[in-house]
Amino acid sequence: MTGLIRRQALAALAASALLSAPAMAQETVKVGLLLTYSGPSGLAGQHADDTIKVFQQRYGSTAGDKKIEFVKRDTTGPNPEVAKRLVQELIVREKVQLMIGPDFTPNVLASAPLITEGKVPTIIAGAATTGIIGEKSPYLMRTFFAIPQLVAPLAQYAYKTGARKLFVLVADYAPGHDAENLITKSFQAQGGTIAGNLRIPMRSPEFSSHMQRIKDAAPDAVFVFLPQGELTVQFLKAYSDSGLKASNLKLLGTGDITDEMLLDVAGDTALGVITAGFYSTYHDSALNKQLVAELAAFKHAPNVPIWDALRLIYDGVAAQKGAPFNGDKFMAFAKGRKFESPRGPIAISASNGDILQNTYIRRVERRDGKLVNVEFETIADPAMR
Amino acid sequence: MSIALTMLFNGLTYGVLLFVMAVGLSVTMGMMNFANLAHVSLAMLGGYLAITAMDHLGVSFLLSLPLAFLGTMAFSWVLERLVLRHFYGTDDLTQVLLTIGLLFMSVSTVAYIWGPSFKPITMPASLSGQVQVMGLSLERYRLFLLAVGIALALALVFGLERTRFGAMVRACVDNRRAASGCGLNIQRIFALTFAIGGGLAGLGGALAANLLTIDPNFPLRYLIYMLIVVSVGGMGSVAGTLLASVVIGIGDVVGKYYVPQAGGIMIYLVTVVIMLVRPQGLMGRAA
Amino acid sequence: MSSHRAYFANQARWSGWEMAFWLAWVVAFFIPQSNLALLSQILIWGLFAVSLDLLLGYRGLPSFGQAAFFGIGAYTAGYLSKFGWTEPITGLLVSGAVAGVVGLMAGRVVRGLHGVALLMVTLGLNSLLYDFVQRSTELTGGDDGLPGVSIAPVLGIFKFDMVGRTGYLYTLAACFLIFVLLRALVRSPFGLALLGARDNPRRMQMLGAPIDRDLTLVMGLSAAVAGMAGALLTQTTQFVAPEVLSFQRSADVLVILVIGGAGFLYGGFVGALAFIFLRDLFAALNPIYWYFWIGLMLVLTVTFFRRGLLPALAGLWARRRKPAVDRPAQEVAP
Repeated sequence: MTGLIRRQALAALAASALLSAPAMAQETVKVGLLLTYSGPSGLAGQHADDTIKVFQQRYGSTAGDKKIEFVKRDTTGPNPEVAKRLVQELIVREKVQLMIGPDFTPNVLASAPLITEGKVPTIIAGAATTGIIGEKSPYLMRTFFAIPQLVAPLAQYAYKTGARKLFVLVADYAPGHDAENLITKSFQAQGGTIAGNLRIPMRSPEFSSHMQRIKDAAPDAVFVFLPQGELTVQFLKAYSDSGLKASNLKLLGTGDITDEMLLDVAGDTALGVITAGFYSTYHDSALNKQLVAELAAFKHAPNVPIWDALRLIYDGVAAQKGAPFNGDKFMAFAKGRKFESPRGPIAISASNGDILQNTYIRRVERRDGKLVNVEFETIADPAMR
Repeated sequence: MSIALTMLFNGLTYGVLLFVMAVGLSVTMGMMNFANLAHVSLAMLGGYLAITAMDHLGVSFLLSLPLAFLGTMAFSWVLERLVLRHFYGTDDLTQVLLTIGLLFMSVSTVAYIWGPSFKPITMPASLSGQVQVMGLSLERYRLFLLAVGIALALALVFGLERTRFGAMVRACVDNRRAASGCGLNIQRIFALTFAIGGGLAGLGGALAANLLTIDPNFPLRYLIYMLIVVSVGGMGSVAGTLLASVVIGIGDVVGKYYVPQAGGIMIYLVTVVIMLVRPQGLMGRAA
Repeated sequence: MSSHRAYFANQARWSGWEMAFWLAWVVAFFIPQSNLALLSQILIWGLFAVSLDLLLGYRGLPSFGQAAFFGIGAYTAGYLSKFGWTEPITGLLVSGAVAGVVGLMAGRVVRGLHGVALLMVTLGLNSLLYDFVQRSTELTGGDDGLPGVSIAPVLGIFKFDMVGRTGYLYTLAACFLIFVLLRALVRSPFGLALLGARDNPRRMQMLGAPIDRDLTLVMGLSAAVAGMAGALLTQTTQFVAPEVLSFQRSADVLVILVIGGAGFLYGGFVGALAFIFLRDLFAALNPIYWYFWIGLMLVLTVTFFRRGLLPALAGLWARRRKPAVDRPAQEVAP
């Protein structure tokens, strides 16, 4: 008897649940995620995944009344043919409504027309060239950094601290050429001279000739712009081995040469190097300290551009609570938005969707037995006020 | 003048490093006509073995070198016996594909075992920094490299010219069929030669860990240099490999210093010109 | 005399398999779930591999530099559109012609080289070209790609749309037409001369065949086809960057061709299908370690399908057929 009553009760409960369920099921907002997971640059993608995991542990996978679902694809590096096809897949077949990535400038450039045609708000978290946000598509935003944001303040810092003859060393590829132009113009505008400049090949196993060129020019400071990876590690090593480091020649670079991912590999060769960066794990804010502690379980630094992209997405989607998701409304929300990032205060420019942020001048020091970038000067972005 | 000499020295030591890594490949290609592109993976293995020995077993750098040599030699022996020897006599492309496949597998396997990041190596103080030699400021580590390279080259030449095994190796390189006809056990000689060549690659990788950097993508970055050195030098010739390595090393460093606009193309220019003028390599046998 | 003509006429006949192959591509267009962008890229890789097949399969010349011609075609198509010539079909033909001319010159340079020397020279020349294009950011845009590439609608009507429908049909039509021409060529006396020079150059010379001239010609032809494949890529993606010239691409197409089977002309497509599908599959399954599976696939292919997938599949099929008592020898083994 009890069994029958129980079954009837359960059936009644189930029926009432079905009848009283809301007419509309919870909407899912699909977010495409286009990063590099394999090959020489594969580490960045894996670190990004861990950061996303931590974010979702803290904030869940629901924003407002909508569920956030990620659709991942691997661009395999700077591979515009593959990236464009994957963007097409994500927009046309997977019907994503938002996108993070692709990384690398050529991938972004190849995908921009599709993004515009598909009207998918896209956040770039891994490409730093100018001329890709804003001009290429009204649906692009950036949480990464733009090269001028780091290079121009570095020129000012160099001049301010007494450097008058700068040696410029960049990798021989498009972003390197951009950085070279920028630093030359900025430094000369301050009144300094360029003692010499060198474009080194992307495949450059042997650095002694480059170091000798620096010695020949007898500069009082050296500016370096190299893609993160084998080049930055070998450069720091060669700089130390060749005796240039010991000569107290000031070494200045963008944050790429002392990025946390490779700082431990570079070891003591990185001590004392001054860089202009947009994020340091040692940044003194409660938000950052907590994030770094959470990522410590994964044994690497957080991917802050990804974190901020998620923050923007979650806030933007939550703001559309009660109505179906709309991409244009999201763009209107995001553009002009200011919020606190683990790196400091940031904003998305209302005019073109690019990132506005502080630039920090940092020096590599050893704190608590670990090498970190210690910020000692902050240059605020004038457009943020 | 002192700068030119320093550049020459740096190029020479870079070349010597390439020689140590590539000499095994040259001999095995010349002897058994077997294109083993995975040779560069053996170099990477040696680098990782040395670093692991230093980090986890507390071994000194100098002791890690013979360990890298022996460890890679053992692995090469196993690889040859289990996999490679089934492919002797197949055409070049089959061997290229097979060994490229092995190379890919090695990249992922190493990333799985040792992690995907670069591996740092710390040199003892006796090998760091610079020292004044005849008015030139030379890096201590490079002097060490040069010494090791010269010692190895001499040992190899002595081994080939003066020992019985060396004579057998030379016989196999010159005319495999006739050597076999004279009663030499080709399989055994080749297995041993391959193992030694692989061990040398491992030693080269361990030496390279400081000058170049070791990470799982090492084979992808240095495969081309191995191929260039071996083909320009002439397959099967130790002296040829040494000559080609030194020419390429010096050409690269000196070229980058005096003509930086040319960038890294010097190495390709040299290859194309030499291959067109002398397709068998500098000291290879004319076809 | 008539037996020769009958032989060539026989060679020209299309088998059921071939017709089914091309029909399948047409049918794929109408299947709603097909990934047309992926299929277009497989076709382009297939055509690229076919261009290498002319050199490697039919003439026996291995090359590590085929991407150079692919890239020359790709950049030509890009530059044409940048400077106002946006019509795709003529752009395709011009790009092929430019690449072909460079191929003819290359043919004269590599004459007389074999094996390793040939591989190294092609590798070196390819690397030199790549290095130049990648560094000359003022001329080519460098890694960021050539700016200003836009392609007009095909025949003035069919715009290159986001879903990739126009791109797919355009690519398929171009690949088919080019393939038909090449197929006729390799089954002609010229094709036989190539095979002869591949298998026994000395004998061909004694027969009086102009093997040097033929080599230059096939190099030019192979380059032209590779250039057209490159132009197709630029036109369908409206983007061109230095990686079209990279050694990675040269190596990939060699792998694709050998996996599919060199010397059968269809091997390039079979290899492209296998390689690209599997690459996508492995990358989706395990993005971090997919290199391992690709490597393993190569090792297994070489171990069990030494001449490539296509002859292995053909062999399997042939063994399943009932053995005929009297079947005249019609096929000339490629």
